[in-house]
Amino acid sequence: MKRRKKGWLFLLCSFLMVLWPVLAMGADTIKLGVTEPLSGTFKDIGERYLDGVKYAVETINAGGGLLGKKIEIIPIDSELKPDVASRKAQNLILKEGVKFFCGGTGSSVGAAMSQLANRENVIFYTYGMEAASLTGDKCNKNFFRATSNTDTRSYALAVLMAQKGYKSIAIVAQDYSFGKEAVAAFKKKMAELSPQTKIVAELYHPAGTKDFAPYVSQIVAAKPDAIFTPNWGNDLTLLLKQGRPMGMKQKIFSYYINDEVVIGSLGDDSLVIGDMGVEIYTLSAPTKKNKEFVAKFYKDRGYYPVMRGKGYVATMFWAEAVKKAGSFDVNAIIKAWEGLSYDGPAGVWTMRAADHQTQLPFWVVEIVKNNPYYKHAFEKHAGVINAKDVEVPVDQTGCKMSN
Amino acid sequence: MKAKISLILPIISVLVLLLLMPLVLKNYHLNILTEIIIFALYAVSYNLLLGYAGLLSFGHAMFFGLAAFVTGIAIIHLKGIGMITAIFLGVFSAFLAGVVIGSLLLRHKGSYFALLTLAFNALFYAVATKWHSVTGGDDGLNVPRPELNVIFAKIPVETVPQFYYFTLIVLGIVILFVWFFTRTAMGKTVLLMRENEERMKFIGYSTNLSRLILFIFTGTLAGLAGAFYTLHFRFVSISAISVEMTTVVLLMTFVGGTRTFWGPILGVFVYIILQNYLSDITDRWPLFMGLIFVFMVLFIPGGLSGFIMDMKERVAKKREVALEGNQL
Repeated sequence: MKRRKKGWLFLLCSFLMVLWPVLAMGADTIKLGVTEPLSGTFKDIGERYLDGVKYAVETINAGGGLLGKKIEIIPIDSELKPDVASRKAQNLILKEGVKFFCGGTGSSVGAAMSQLANRENVIFYTYGMEAASLTGDKCNKNFFRATSNTDTRSYALAVLMAQKGYKSIAIVAQDYSFGKEAVAAFKKKMAELSPQTKIVAELYHPAGTKDFAPYVSQIVAAKPDAIFTPNWGNDLTLLLKQGRPMGMKQKIFSYYINDEVVIGSLGDDSLVIGDMGVEIYTLSAPTKKNKEFVAKFYKDRGYYPVMRGKGYVATMFWAEAVKKAGSFDVNAIIKAWEGLSYDGPAGVWTMRAADHQTQLPFWVVEIVKNNPYYKHAFEKHAGVINAKDVEVPVDQTGCKMSN
Repeated sequence: MKAKISLILPIISVLVLLLLMPLVLKNYHLNILTEIIIFALYAVSYNLLLGYAGLLSFGHAMFFGLAAFVTGIAIIHLKGIGMITAIFLGVFSAFLAGVVIGSLLLRHKGSYFALLTLAFNALFYAVATKWHSVTGGDDGLNVPRPELNVIFAKIPVETVPQFYYFTLIVLGIVILFVWFFTRTAMGKTVLLMRENEERMKFIGYSTNLSRLILFIFTGTLAGLAGAFYTLHFRFVSISAISVEMTTVVLLMTFVGGTRTFWGPILGVFVYIILQNYLSDITDRWPLFMGLIFVFMVLFIPGGLSGFIMDMKERVAKKREVALEGNQL
């Protein structure tokens, strides 16, 4: 008898749960779906990006909205799985007619979303998915990349290292498509800019390696002037943690060195001081707009917009395109965004019409002990690399845009 | 005769109802309903193993995923392939996998069977992950929906309602066929096997052969569901062949109840609706699914269908008591 009562209770509860969202439907707003991993291992990255997009939307809404309408964010937990992200996005398109999506984590998610966007004629823009192929052979008119890619970022690091005049360089990278693409682009640009520079070691390790000793000893034995690595997250942390005590003293030039989580988790600033990196948005970028943005963000949130800035600037860029189009019509916005320039906190960004890859400057940073942002070591502005210097000609991207 | 009518009448009314759905429902709900039908076939095939034969498999996703991948790869690489050929290739690959794996597994039962199926599933998963050039690895494959040509007519399946009808008709017929199968002599031997295998052997049945046939049959059905999965989402990735896909169907089957044929279908319905709504509300929806599962195991072990059957019996008994009371 008791069991039966609980059974009815259970049925009632599930019924209420089913009805709940139906009762709480939204008002007339412009909806922006944000696909990020909001659970699991990469949650911390997804939440920081989402926070940046949210801040942009709050800023736009506080200023009266976009074309007089408020924007509403719909967070989509992609679980970093392309099938999950595209299924949820498809449902949102059918249910609520969502026309705008963005995301920053996982090029695999990007590839699936790009196809979906093209099929359903909606817009997807990314501020963090960097696989060059997304604006290369997989490009389409509904996908926009408001960030760098593995080609341009590797080019920027090659420019930086060529300027420094290193004679020999060691490379260490993760053994999967991202690591390999990044290294290939780096070597290509380096050979072009500084043919006399030798690559004295080129090492690949599985992503998520725990023991870096075999790789570090090879680097140390090769005696390079400097080290290039596209490693990120834990693979960067452990490379530094295990490499420095083994005598790997060279400056490291890395894709994502100015990550407060990576540096904070090292626990020892001396491991990372002096290393350099390039990034499309940095706290220390010395533009007037960036100084205002960082100060306002810190005042509102109580922390600094590391990484979040990428989501913020890209979303403001999208809003500019909508404003220029003067309507929320997808085709009009695509047309308006192509060739559009936006002068924001991270300098002037221009959306190249032929492949929808934003041409943008890279901000160079060096990790120093004393910085205005954190107690631990963090970045110092160390120059800028112009968009022209890292441009990949359209005919080399493999993109054939069809209309 | 009366019993037959009471069986067929609800089936026909459900079918008519489903056929009328596109007139009532919006595309969003129709899309979910299509997903429900696909997973219903997957769950029904799983329940033939779990509920009817008492075989707990942790590797059902290998058939589902294999057919999903083969269908997708065939569409991408074979230019101008029709939808029926693509589905056939997918289903046929699942059939072949069933023959090979089934003949290796047929002597095992209970936990040995469960663990071996898990091992085979892990093998398929590893191949799908590592064979990047063919399966797309983590990136998955985007699969366009090919044309559906039946004899000389081209049937459109691009829009949500069109694909819904296509799925409903094909999978609906297959599910009915499976239902019919459970009532044939072969279907009954499956039940016998679960209840008393020794006795069956004494009577003269080859239980190994029966089990092999059942294994291949359920694998092929799961493969058909997998092929439709690819066509429905126009995308296939390693998720389709992961162990997670098996636990999902286990959960669906269990929530619905394994005692009846239609229990798993009810389970799929509840699971997918809940999943869609819960994931709208919270990112932690697997936690709630888990809680529901624990609750079901503790308090309603017969699943939703078991619960409904209990209720029906109770009502019937009460009516009898009431009738007797009136007579007195």
